[in-house]
Amino acid sequence: MSYSYIQTKRKSVFTSEMQLLLLFFAITVSMLFTTSAFLFFKEFHFQYQQEEISQKEQQLQIEIANMEKKIAYIQEKEKQAEKIFTQNNVLKDSITNLFDLIPERITISEAKLLSNGLIFYGITPNKDVYNFMLQAPLRSIFHKTYSSFYPYENGWLRFVSTNYIKEDKELINAN
Amino acid sequence: MPIKISRQNLYLLILSVLLLIIVLLFSFNVLIPQGKNYREQKIVVLKQGNELQRYEMLHMQTLETLKELQAKNRHIIKALDTRFDPIRFEKQHRGFFHSLYLEEMSELSKDGFFQVYEVNTSSQIDSPLNFYSFLEAVNKSDWVIEIHFPIHFKRDEKRIESSFKMHVYNFSKELYENNITKQEPAEDGQTL
Repeated sequence: MSYSYIQTKRKSVFTSEMQLLLLFFAITVSMLFTTSAFLFFKEFHFQYQQEEISQKEQQLQIEIANMEKKIAYIQEKEKQAEKIFTQNNVLKDSITNLFDLIPERITISEAKLLSNGLIFYGITPNKDVYNFMLQAPLRSIFHKTYSSFYPYENGWLRFVSTNYIKEDKELINAN
Repeated sequence: MPIKISRQNLYLLILSVLLLIIVLLFSFNVLIPQGKNYREQKIVVLKQGNELQRYEMLHMQTLETLKELQAKNRHIIKALDTRFDPIRFEKQHRGFFHSLYLEEMSELSKDGFFQVYEVNTSSQIDSPLNFYSFLEAVNKSDWVIEIHFPIHFKRDEKRIESSFKMHVYNFSKELYENNITKQEPAEDGQTL
């Protein structure tokens, strides 16, 4: 027999307050997990980025080293070529100047240009013409000048003019 | 006076405290170290990024320098890497001589990073002016050639017989690299 007109209800632990509290904590925990997942993903991404940057850096370092090597090659080539071109130009100017020294009255039959001297073979009308017009300028250029003469046709003289520049060592010894 | 708490409220309180402890533990043990790590790694990546930018700039500058040098010295680079060809040389310079004869090329010496070959030349020219023009043209030829002493001119009726030596230069990568590797230990010694 019952003493009440209403039916008994089973009491649940999950009251509305409890549900609200659980919902609140569920949201909080999910936010915390989302943040953690984001940080975890970022950490992974940073590691990937670091590896990528290191690889790029290494690649760039290799390329820079190769380019610097090529630059060094080119600079060496440029230096050497410029030196040779200058020497050729100096040689041309020297030969031009030497041939300009020869007066019209003297005829040169042979010339030997050496690294430290010059030998002329030729014909001169007389010794004075040779001495004043050829030997004097040659003396101003060369340290040692020797001349020898042989008779030629019509009273002219055949000559051999040997001229040398002192080597650096000789100059040092002389000083 | 005793505090009366209903059973429901007690459950609520216990659960709240429990969940709060979970949140705090998670935050202090997981989130905060992760955040710290994130910040540190971000700084490292930023630094590396800056360094990479510096390398990219250096790469760009070096490339620019290399291109400029290559463009400026195109003739020299090609000439020093080209092996001497007597037939082509004769063809190119025949105009300056009445006749030109080149002896066989012989390996002479090594000058720094360059292999030097010697070619003896005999020729006939109409006037010394031809030889001056040849000396000007030889600097623009397909090889780097140094005209070397002794140079001999001899009058032969209407023409001048001439003979001279030519030194042909070829760049040798091997010589250059050997020289550089020999120099490197000395440099290290200096820094010590």
